[in-house]
Amino acid sequence: MTASRRLPLLLIPATLLLLVVYVWPSLGLFRNAFNEVGPTGAMVEAWSLATARATFHDSFTFELTLNSLWLSAVSTLIALCLAYPVSLFLFRTDSRFRGLLAVVAILPMLVSGVVRVFGWLAILGDRGLVNTTLQSLGLITTPLKLVFNWTGVTIGLAESIMPYMILALLAGFGRLDRTLEEAARSLGASPFRTFRRVTLPLSLPAIALAAGLGFVLSMSAYITPKLLGGGRVFVLATEIFEQATTNTNWPVAAVLAIYTLILLLVLLVVSNLVARRLQR
Amino acid sequence: MSYLELAGLQKRYGNSVAVDDVSLLVEQGEAVALLGPSGCGKTTTLRMLAGLIEPNHGTMTLDGSEITRLPAHKRNMGYVFQSYALFPHLSVGRNIAFGLEERGVSRAEIDKRVQEGLALVRLSGLEQRRPKELSGGQQQRVALARALVIQPSVLLLDESLSNLDAKLRDAMRHEIRSIQRTLGITTLFVTHDQVEALTMCDRIAVMHRGRIAQIGNAEDIYDRPATRFVAEFVGRANVLPLARDAQGRATVWEQPVPVEPTQNADLFVRPQRMRIVPVSEPAGGDTARLTGRVLRSVFVGDHVEVLVEGAGGQLTVEMPSGSTAPTEGTEVAVVWPRAESRVFAREAT
Amino acid sequence: MLTRRLVIQSGLATIAMPAVLRAQTLSGQITLMSYAGIFQDNYTKAVIEPFQQAHPGVKVNFVPGGSSAQMVGSVRAQKADPQTDVVIMDVTTSSIGNLEGLFEKLTPAEFPVLNELLPEARAAGGEFGPAVTFDHLVIVQDAALNPQIAKLADLWRPDLKGQIALAAPPNIQGLALTAMTEKMAGGDYRKSIDAAMKKLKELAPGVNTFDPNPDGYSLILNGVAKVATGWNARAQLYSDQTGGKINALLPPEGSVFQVNTINLTAGSKNRAAAAAFVAHALSQGAQKAFTERMFYAPTNGMADIDAKALGRTAASPENRARMIPVDWNEILKVRDQWNNRWRREVIAAAR
Repeated sequence: MTASRRLPLLLIPATLLLLVVYVWPSLGLFRNAFNEVGPTGAMVEAWSLATARATFHDSFTFELTLNSLWLSAVSTLIALCLAYPVSLFLFRTDSRFRGLLAVVAILPMLVSGVVRVFGWLAILGDRGLVNTTLQSLGLITTPLKLVFNWTGVTIGLAESIMPYMILALLAGFGRLDRTLEEAARSLGASPFRTFRRVTLPLSLPAIALAAGLGFVLSMSAYITPKLLGGGRVFVLATEIFEQATTNTNWPVAAVLAIYTLILLLVLLVVSNLVARRLQR
Repeated sequence: MSYLELAGLQKRYGNSVAVDDVSLLVEQGEAVALLGPSGCGKTTTLRMLAGLIEPNHGTMTLDGSEITRLPAHKRNMGYVFQSYALFPHLSVGRNIAFGLEERGVSRAEIDKRVQEGLALVRLSGLEQRRPKELSGGQQQRVALARALVIQPSVLLLDESLSNLDAKLRDAMRHEIRSIQRTLGITTLFVTHDQVEALTMCDRIAVMHRGRIAQIGNAEDIYDRPATRFVAEFVGRANVLPLARDAQGRATVWEQPVPVEPTQNADLFVRPQRMRIVPVSEPAGGDTARLTGRVLRSVFVGDHVEVLVEGAGGQLTVEMPSGSTAPTEGTEVAVVWPRAESRVFAREAT
Repeated sequence: MLTRRLVIQSGLATIAMPAVLRAQTLSGQITLMSYAGIFQDNYTKAVIEPFQQAHPGVKVNFVPGGSSAQMVGSVRAQKADPQTDVVIMDVTTSSIGNLEGLFEKLTPAEFPVLNELLPEARAAGGEFGPAVTFDHLVIVQDAALNPQIAKLADLWRPDLKGQIALAAPPNIQGLALTAMTEKMAGGDYRKSIDAAMKKLKELAPGVNTFDPNPDGYSLILNGVAKVATGWNARAQLYSDQTGGKINALLPPEGSVFQVNTINLTAGSKNRAAAAAFVAHALSQGAQKAFTERMFYAPTNGMADIDAKALGRTAASPENRARMIPVDWNEILKVRDQWNNRWRREVIAAAR
């Protein structure tokens, strides 16, 4: 056997792990989606599409989908606007603190989601940093509602996906070359025009990659919408959890989980196609 | 007042000095090479001129007005980068049009000048291609056309030929030189390749450790190097350690040579300026002479290199090909005109 | 075969022996699953430790199971190979487990203590595990709130705008609040909740969160909210633990019982010890100890409980009179419907 033919052997450990911790439970999920639920919530073993049919006939499922998509789109956009300049700076800087700065930028990734959310509660709450500052400046009299609603969830989500997007952008900036910007400058383009005509178009593949990642992460985020949403924010992820752990309604949770999984797969494929197209 | 004047330019990065003190006058339409080994500060000088980096000290004046603090995009310099720096997301045509579009030139005029530019570099018909679909030489020419169509005040070429293979480089050398002459465009050409410098430029500034060691035309630099560095860097030279004999005469290989006796110095003679003659032939009044034994002769195509060994070392003589090389082991005399002798002190180390 | 005969004989002997004698022969481990935190701490002290003293051969492992729904999920997932012997959880989820065959039926013949229980405690589990604790929904408030809330209708006070934390359905606190509000508005939840929806919709814009995390008591103690819905037992305990920083109010308009049942897992690997534990948990002694420690109302009517502690539970005669009779099995059937109406009518009005 040649070395290249033995190469796939390297995939065996990961594949086995995936089979045990991912594929097997997913099959269980798949099975549950075909069960039914009795009038008081007891699960009835069956091979039926009744649960799926009822779930997709419920207009709330459609609402949840729109909520998830909208929340993900807005959070991703905000995170992108913040992550892009940071990444560009990190990509470019010759500072000897570059490594340190990069670590600082992705540090939130290393903090538990729950801890991060409580941090936001402390900052955005009625008696949090933002509201007390605005109040002491006399800009507002009653606190702004910044948590336990869509605003809070959007802010929290944008922050939580930002580090991932910074990493994706840094990885995707491959074609970005300082010399190309210098060439544009030498040809008469101002710094802004250089950004618009050279830097931005060349970083589009990275942006597509990062946006795709951010969107998928937002779609599947549970902790942030749950803890910052104050029970007002209904998205697919929170609904799946609620159905499974509060309503004991595993079949509906399974149907929604599979539905979300398919949505995410489609989104990933689309974002990859877009990124690849832009790469050309 | 010259067209382009650099005065006392200096660029430091922390404690290291990239460009120490560069002053240079360039006339309109002149092509000047900045020649030197890597790290001598030639590219830094070019980048300061283009406005891509700011000097710590010194001034730059173009056509009577100071441009030292002018941002790059307002300098109107055509810069051809070593890597060509073609925009990968734009077609060849859009690459060439870039500078014109930034100048707000009308569409019709842009189209016309892009066509002219393509014709100038003999790439007509390729405007729809993407840069990566072109060969290295073609990319080089697109970069040149892109820099030329903006009708720059100065054309700056940064090691522009170093990424091409030898044959293509030769062709491009002549092409660029003829375009430069035709357009009469003031050109600064950074290179580490002395052949490029010698063939493409009116004058050559040899740079060493952030300063200009010597500036002059090809003959000045080659035949009358001002410093030991120039003599060593440009062309080939036999470096023969000088000693002094009992009578106080300068000697090489324990044989007297007609130069001033100097402590800690070497005698530099170009191999092409030397001739091999039979030992029996007497020395002329204005020639220098050393005897030795032929170690070997190597045929290199356009000339023959003869390696001669003497009492204290070796030297190389270049004979025109076609002349009969002396057989190995023969005792010969090496002679050269006295005027071709240069003496440079050894650098204190 | 000797060994087999021995097993059968000793098995028969076990059944024939009186309960007291039987208990002495118990051994091994059993696993009890229930709520974490202060419930676990106090239940261990008041109920489990005395049981272990009485049965030195038995070790009771307390496994925190998360919410009731998560507990029934765990038992469901372990159906083929049960790892839990006894589960104490909310009646709304234990009834699901009962229907799915996850728990055993309990007979008065085997569990004479069932005859000591209050009728509603027996009724809660039907033929299955009965109620082991009663609790009820209270309005929890910051002790510094002035004036204090005296009735449910006070929640609509304008000065409380933005200060209210309530757990919306499908959380059972939300279901209980719906029934209470309907009663307050003069209706009956069994017929309609329209009046409750109308009132709650008015309340909604002033609600800080519909999903208090980790719970309403903590939000008040942290200053995030001034008023919250909560359960009496925990509210009383937190009040004691914080030196009276929060108060619990049983609204004069009425409240709803929350019922925890005790359930014997079908297929328990140490059924004898598990059954003994269930009997112990329902006994007068254990009921008294736990009520006096954590203010859950007893389900054993014969338990002789200190009057002071009893007054802080729903079991005191005055409090009992205020309770709205609720059949959780009926509410389960309308839970999804109530849940949807909350989302579309109440929470939607609070965006």
